[in-house]
Amino acid sequence: MIRVSGLRKRFGGREILKGISFEVPPQTVLGVIGASGSGKSTLLRCLNGLETINDGTIECGKVRLEAKISPSDYRRRVKDLRLEVGTVFQHFHLFPHLSVVGNIIEAPVHVLRTPKKTAETEALELLESVGLSGAAQRFPGSLSGGEQQRVAIARALAMHPALLLLDEPTSALDPRRINSLRTLLRTFVDRGHTMIIISHSMGFLNGVADNILFMDGGLVVEHGPTGQVLNSPSDPRTKDFLEQAD
Amino acid sequence: MAKARFILIAAAWCSLLAPVAHAQQALRWGADPSGGAPYVFTDPANPDRYIGYEKEMVDALAAAMGRRAEFVPSDWETLVSALQRKSFDIIVNGLEPTGDRAQQILFSKPYYIFQLQLTVRADDNRITSLEDCKNRVVATLGNTAASRLLEQKHIPFRSYQDPPGAYQDLQLKRIDAVLMDVPAEAFYARSNPKLKPAGAPFTKGQYVIGLRKGDDALKAEVDQAIDKIIRDGTLETILKKWGLWNDAQVEFETPIRTGAQAPSNVEYTTTNATFNWSEALWRLTRAAGVTVFIALGSMVIAVLLGLPLAVGQWKGPTWLRGFCTIYVEFFRGTPVLVQLLFLYFGLPVIGIAMPGWLTALVGLGLNYAAYESQVYRAALEAIPNGQWEAAYSLGMSPLLAFRRIILPQAFRIALPPMTNDFVSLFKDTSVAFAISVWELATAYRELANASGQFLLLGVAVSAFYLLMSLPMAHLARLLERRLSNRAAEQLVEVEAAEVGA
Repeated sequence: MIRVSGLRKRFGGREILKGISFEVPPQTVLGVIGASGSGKSTLLRCLNGLETINDGTIECGKVRLEAKISPSDYRRRVKDLRLEVGTVFQHFHLFPHLSVVGNIIEAPVHVLRTPKKTAETEALELLESVGLSGAAQRFPGSLSGGEQQRVAIARALAMHPALLLLDEPTSALDPRRINSLRTLLRTFVDRGHTMIIISHSMGFLNGVADNILFMDGGLVVEHGPTGQVLNSPSDPRTKDFLEQAD
Repeated sequence: MAKARFILIAAAWCSLLAPVAHAQQALRWGADPSGGAPYVFTDPANPDRYIGYEKEMVDALAAAMGRRAEFVPSDWETLVSALQRKSFDIIVNGLEPTGDRAQQILFSKPYYIFQLQLTVRADDNRITSLEDCKNRVVATLGNTAASRLLEQKHIPFRSYQDPPGAYQDLQLKRIDAVLMDVPAEAFYARSNPKLKPAGAPFTKGQYVIGLRKGDDALKAEVDQAIDKIIRDGTLETILKKWGLWNDAQVEFETPIRTGAQAPSNVEYTTTNATFNWSEALWRLTRAAGVTVFIALGSMVIAVLLGLPLAVGQWKGPTWLRGFCTIYVEFFRGTPVLVQLLFLYFGLPVIGIAMPGWLTALVGLGLNYAAYESQVYRAALEAIPNGQWEAAYSLGMSPLLAFRRIILPQAFRIALPPMTNDFVSLFKDTSVAFAISVWELATAYRELANASGQFLLLGVAVSAFYLLMSLPMAHLARLLERRLSNRAAEQLVEVEAAEVGA
């Protein structure tokens, strides 16, 4: 579903991503872990086109983004890439001037040119699946953090992305809500979605991720099935990180 | 004869003393030197000095009175109130005796007989007399014999601050004719090949010196001095030097110089200003309409032009950012009055001659665009970057994200300062008086100067301004409240959550 190879990203003279390669099979969840500054947030911003990559390729669905193409071609492909990749930001970034349903239909109506009625029907279905059917006409400011997150998930899914990125989805949630988020995400995976989740919570990833990727210093240190990486890591750096994490 | 000799001796005595007597009393006289030729004006060859036939006449009068003349530059339309405020002791500025002025001040004997001259463009054959001006716009100075005559004949006219502005606008076809006292016409228009006199000079009126009520002793002194400079030919010499000596002066001075009775005032009475409240209120209402029109028009320009300026300065390439910054700093850093004068008098030099109302509308619009752009820029920058990123990651183009996500949020932030600017723009329309636009402030000045009703008209004009600005402020508050009910405080909450997390 998504294949990243040789991805490099520099800020000024500092190289943050030093050649990242991995693959996420369809209908699976990849958990990305690593210390702050390991480059996992930058990786996520490269995957949705918010950062320009310096080297390597990102392949997602029919889109192939390469570093070594003309700027106009690059811009075009970033636009296509963003239609394949949905993002749920750590702080959600809902549009405060639009209602919940307005937030969800904004991009389908104005980017995909979906008729408003169709988009609304679909938005209400999405809201129901994230358990917020009653909140359609409310405004983001009146929602709790957990509710805002579920609106953000519905907003991203309304664009039918091939891949969903979630940045620190548990940071604003209490333990009970973490459990229900896990259940919710698994439902979407069962329905055919593919996800990459950045998280510090090993407990959360343990129940939701199929594979784990551990990053350190801009490199992939370990990448394998969740149980294997979390329970018997092969690299001493992974072991060290996991010991300090929990 | 004995009396005359006494005066002569006294005068000689005084002039002898003049250089030494330091305690010699000053004769403080007020006049408007701006565009004031040939009465009194700044010497083009020596800008520190004032010259003019009335300047020379007052010097002669002062010498005859044994005083030292001291010129107090002032403004024509407020000469009477300045006199009453004791800014100076006499008005010498081609002042015509009228019934309404007689209620406020004293008049000296007349010293000059003026006539009025209508001037048109050299290629204009439509107008040959005042009767042809019924449907045209005639310019003149405010609160003069000429303006009153036009008012009486119901000819539409525009008041100017000084003759050069009026004649320039005539050349630029902003107006159709200029009616002016002959001395000013002779100085400013007669030698201009692009203008020509329409018909002969007509009507006759007197110039007198104005004094404060109760200053009877000074009036006697001034009258005596006028007689003296007429009899000894000093005034004739001065008038001849300035090309103002004519048959009317001969007719006027001869009886005085031959010792006959001076002509009575009745013979030369000029038109009287008639003031009635319903007329004044009607004119104020019309002026208020002009004010609203200019304010709304310039706000539209400011709102529309402010946005590209803000975006250019915010996200544009370096050259565009530089251009926008220069624009903003230029219009914020120079007085709006100077900008209007530049647009009105300066642009015609390169062939752009806009009428006054349009100049005010465009000028204020350009000026306020600079302020609006800064309001927008601050509002746009206040929108968190995450909003852009969220929009981009949903596949929106920069333009779509700006239009649908950023702008609506920025508008809510910008609304209160925009309202503030609009209210202040309403008041700033008053600078349009400088380019003779008949808006509220001009109306107040001219009506009050003509009637002396500064207090009551001031209250009326303030009421007009409030009637216009209060509903607007109220409307803006309603809009703000409607928007903030659902959005603004939520924005704050989201931001707080971001800061907290």
